[in-house]
Amino acid sequence: MKQILLFLFWLLLAVVAIALTIVLGERGAWYFAWVLGTVMIVLIAAAGTAIIDARYDESHDDHY
Amino acid sequence: MQELDTVIELSRLQFAATALYHYLFVPLTLGFSVLLATMETIYVITGRDIYRQMTHFWSKLFAINFALGVATGLTMEFEFGTNWSTYSHFVGDIFGAPLAIEGLMAFFLESTFVGLMLFGWGKLSRGKHLLVTYMVALGSNLSALWILIANGYMQKPTGSAFNPDTMRMELTSLPDLIFSPEAQAKFVHTSIAGYVTAAIFVLGISAFYLLRRRHIELAKRSFRVAALFGVFASIGVISLGDALGFINGGAQPTKLAAMEGLWETAEAPAGFNLIAWPNQEEQRNDFEVQIPYLLTPLVTHTFDESIPGVNDLVAEAETRIRNGIPALSALQTLRENPTDAQARATFEAHQDDLGYALLVQRYVEDVSQATDAQIAKAAADTIPPVAPVFWSFRVMVATAFLMMAFLILAVIFSLRGTLHRHNWFLRLAPWMIPVPFIANEAGWVVAELGRQPWTVYGQLPTWLSASTHSVGYMIFSLTGFVLLYSLFIVVEMYLMVKFIRLGPSEGKHDAHADSVRQQHSSQWSEA
Repeated sequence: MKQILLFLFWLLLAVVAIALTIVLGERGAWYFAWVLGTVMIVLIAAAGTAIIDARYDESHDDHY
Repeated sequence: MQELDTVIELSRLQFAATALYHYLFVPLTLGFSVLLATMETIYVITGRDIYRQMTHFWSKLFAINFALGVATGLTMEFEFGTNWSTYSHFVGDIFGAPLAIEGLMAFFLESTFVGLMLFGWGKLSRGKHLLVTYMVALGSNLSALWILIANGYMQKPTGSAFNPDTMRMELTSLPDLIFSPEAQAKFVHTSIAGYVTAAIFVLGISAFYLLRRRHIELAKRSFRVAALFGVFASIGVISLGDALGFINGGAQPTKLAAMEGLWETAEAPAGFNLIAWPNQEEQRNDFEVQIPYLLTPLVTHTFDESIPGVNDLVAEAETRIRNGIPALSALQTLRENPTDAQARATFEAHQDDLGYALLVQRYVEDVSQATDAQIAKAAADTIPPVAPVFWSFRVMVATAFLMMAFLILAVIFSLRGTLHRHNWFLRLAPWMIPVPFIANEAGWVVAELGRQPWTVYGQLPTWLSASTHSVGYMIFSLTGFVLLYSLFIVVEMYLMVKFIRLGPSEGKHDAHADSVRQQHSSQWSEA
């Protein structure tokens, strides 16, 4: 039951995202660009920082 | 009239002072909230405690800035009513809507979740705390969105119409107001500029720690996340600045002419004034250094369009003033007799230029009696102070490119793991902290001073917008604000320096908090 609810939650979120995309893409292209850009900046910054730990685990390099 | 002019100038000075003080805090809040969410995202994904410590430490500095930002911002909303009552009456229907939504939706959202974010460590699960942090980021940026929608309206009025029966601007379309290109470009540019501000702030302090070899694990990760976060944001802020300039330049050619020091209409391909010394009195540049061919593609995004200069814009304003005078005369008739069909027809035929006729009313009560000299004077008023706008624009652009170059180097050194070999860069980084603040302030000077002589471009002149306070009252309140806000800045600086010197409390764990976190973390994993 918990899995189904979780699935429905993500499904709803996807539908909301699609609706938002249609509305923003049509009338608010810059707002849409801000949403996409922010998500991209957050993800790239997060991934690029997490690499520090992956490298550290491999080499125990103390450099920064 | 002289006392009225002094009151208007003091009202402008007071608003400029409070807005510029307030804007020392805002961009850091906008960017810091998203940067904190990024740090916490890494913590939730990797589960490494160092990222929790990072988020926890930087959120203390965020909280100091947030509290003072709210304190300085609240007075500004009241200032519209106290010092700009004619403005508030004239456009209250439109301007009030986004401000009310901002207060009810975004500010409440932000303030509520800030409490949970700061005091929810150990009480909320990792996932829930992360959600709370994202809500703070969303709330703070939504606050900015609604304020900038309101400001976008002042820059280019859309979604409204003047009602001669109520003598006010009335909202005709909320979507047109929210989705106006001006509001959109302004929001994205401002928000992303906040990201750059936060990135450089975190970089500067992290570099300080690395240089002193303190809190190295936390500092090198903070440096990396801020460098990557900032470099993309800095590219974004420059490209979005170009978009805003293109949209705003089309809507406000007078501001564009001032920004570029263009006294004569520039035929394509026009050169870009890299440096110039504008002389407003003689309507020319005393000195200028140009880059050939650059201005036309930069401003018009074409290679063959001309760019109107001050000479043509003043001539156009004169025509519009003459066209607006019948509208204002008809409006005065309609105030006495709203059923006068001829006056209404005259008003409707000329209403697009009503705002321009209001400019000449500064010099003559009955505008139908305005002389050519008075009309020419009012037309000359449509050009903002060129030198401050021109130089503020250049300061903003130069600092933006400086920050981008700095952030590119930060990313290169951090990704290659060679920061420890570039002590000069680590020494430079703390000195870069004021740069985004200078850029942000310069940007607002361009936006607001460049819009003069209007509070609502083409609709309501600034001279007509202010309240009728006494000079003494204005000097008293202005002095009070400057002293109070200066105190706020001192408090902010003191608290920031204190907490930066203290640094993160690495390794100090709250046993209870840890056990609660552990418990919730296993629940999150199961989910």
